Amino acid sequence: MEVIIIIALTGIAIMMAGALNKPGFSLWIAIAGLMLAFILNFRLWNTNLHLFNDMIVYDNFAVVFNALIIVSSALVFLLFHSHYSPWEKHLDEIAALLIFACTSMMLMTSYGNLVVLFIGIETMSICLYVLAGSRKYELPSNEAALKYFLLGSFATGVMLFGIALIYGASGSFDFHGITSYLTSTGNQTSSMFSIGLLLLTVGLLFKIAAVPFHFWAPDVYEGSPTVITTFMGSTVKIAGVAALYRLYAYHFAAIKPIWATTIMIVSALSFFAAVLMALPQKRFKRLLAYSGISHAGFLLMAVLAMNQYAASALLLYAASYSLATIAAFTVLVEVIEVRWDDELSVFKGMGAKNKFLAFALIVAMLSMAGIPPFSGFMAKFMMFSAVAESGYIVLVVFGVIASAISLVYYLKPITLILSKDESNSTNIKLSWEVIIVLVVTLTLTLIFGIFPGLLTGLL
Amino acid sequence: MFSTILFYILSVILVFSSLMVIFSRKPINSVLFLIVSFFAISGHYILLNAQFLAVVNIIVYAGAIMVLFLFTVMLLNLNKETEPKKSALVKIIAVITGCLLAVTLVGSLKGIDNAPVQDFSDNSIGLIKNLGKTLFTDFLVPFELTSVLFLASIVGTLMIGKKE
Repeated sequence: MEVIIIIALTGIAIMMAGALNKPGFSLWIAIAGLMLAFILNFRLWNTNLHLFNDMIVYDNFAVVFNALIIVSSALVFLLFHSHYSPWEKHLDEIAALLIFACTSMMLMTSYGNLVVLFIGIETMSICLYVLAGSRKYELPSNEAALKYFLLGSFATGVMLFGIALIYGASGSFDFHGITSYLTSTGNQTSSMFSIGLLLLTVGLLFKIAAVPFHFWAPDVYEGSPTVITTFMGSTVKIAGVAALYRLYAYHFAAIKPIWATTIMIVSALSFFAAVLMALPQKRFKRLLAYSGISHAGFLLMAVLAMNQYAASALLLYAASYSLATIAAFTVLVEVIEVRWDDELSVFKGMGAKNKFLAFALIVAMLSMAGIPPFSGFMAKFMMFSAVAESGYIVLVVFGVIASAISLVYYLKPITLILSKDESNSTNIKLSWEVIIVLVVTLTLTLIFGIFPGLLTGLL
Repeated sequence: MFSTILFYILSVILVFSSLMVIFSRKPINSVLFLIVSFFAISGHYILLNAQFLAVVNIIVYAGAIMVLFLFTVMLLNLNKETEPKKSALVKIIAVITGCLLAVTLVGSLKGIDNAPVQDFSDNSIGLIKNLGKTLFTDFLVPFELTSVLFLASIVGTLMIGKKE
């Protein structure tokens, strides 16, 4: 609970700091708050706390995912500080909203009650709607915010309907009550419970942008300010998948036959359709959006696997995906700053003058594609072996084919970077924050690729 | 007996006005029918002996939110001519998917018979005293966490709506 309180207080402090009229001050409050939360978070290791009638369950799964969310948010914060010019309006409000979204993600990893899950998702979504439209005089930003808001609130409504039906069937919001209802019926759910579960799943799948609920993702990613897109692509997706995993693998494991087929189809559709849709993309942001959709499909595999390797595979995959996404978007932010465009052709000949940026993007792309020695390879390997262990061989075969196809679009920016054409290459000066972000993400990508046991040993 | 008759009357009003919300051509009529349906829902709450919820429903939804809807409809000047035309294919797909969802939902009603029915013989459950007790004991954490939700919404509203 301290972690959640500290992060919420950090958000309030940032809001108050806006009155001081010192731009940039919010970064230090945020970093300090997040670091404090990170330390407090690990003090809860192995304590397995059940707080306030099991409203919040702090087991090791929650601790590691909270840590991952805090680190990713801190990296996004550094990027935010470097990218937003100090004369821009509402910096502190944007920072506060980022922190509030981070608070709500802590709830999504550690809920023990459907009400807490709903509040977590709703708070996160409201923060994101506003953040997507935070450049309020730019048309794409407005469009992204409105699109996300309309579709997102509809998804929230569907999810709430699902929760209501589950409550109607089982008579409880609490997972203890729901579990005892399930045991009393011998894991034969009434059709009302099943459709409630289906609608709840639809709402959650919308938040992680899995096919067929992905239509908002490319447009919203493209229209939002790039730093916010980084946040959406990395942290939000991790929190959503963690919520899904907790829901199914922890609470609804007994009724796996009911939901397994749905999740399997969604997972296969996500990575396969997204990979095919990413192929013709010309803009880097849209490409990363489709790549995020396909990774959502891969992450969902862990929910299906549900054996002793699933949680650690999910953690490694989420970590490597998040790090690679942040690195790729950081490079994109720097390039957009100079070129005002995110067509793939802006990377042409970048390798000659910006060696570090080029290297970072290459590592990020290779990690996402799953090439050794980067962590993406180990993550995919562990995920596939965990799912194969549970007997979903066909899904693994499709996953391998999809990864192979995905190489085509991950290699596209790399070939452009390494091309000899230097006509439109400009020297980009990096700020210290960006250098920290890139060094941290690249080092961790490499370390987790060579020593995946550091993460997988945790769960 | 009296409450059963009242229940059916309220239900007919509720279903009719909810259908009219969807089917009426003018947005302003939709909004007005939505107010009627909110009042019918409040009637149901009173029948369930949940007076507090009934009053809150009227104050918040029929009062504040509906006024907001009305203003939005009037300010945006939504009328039939400006409505974007959808292609026939999209319409057919929408009808099919909507009907599928409706069939599934109606099918799920089948299972209600064997679901355990909660005993509502304790009539004081919806009173404000008991509601407050539950809210501040069992549901304290979600109640407090909602403040973060509201804070985020206030910050967001100010940020988007502020004139510069």
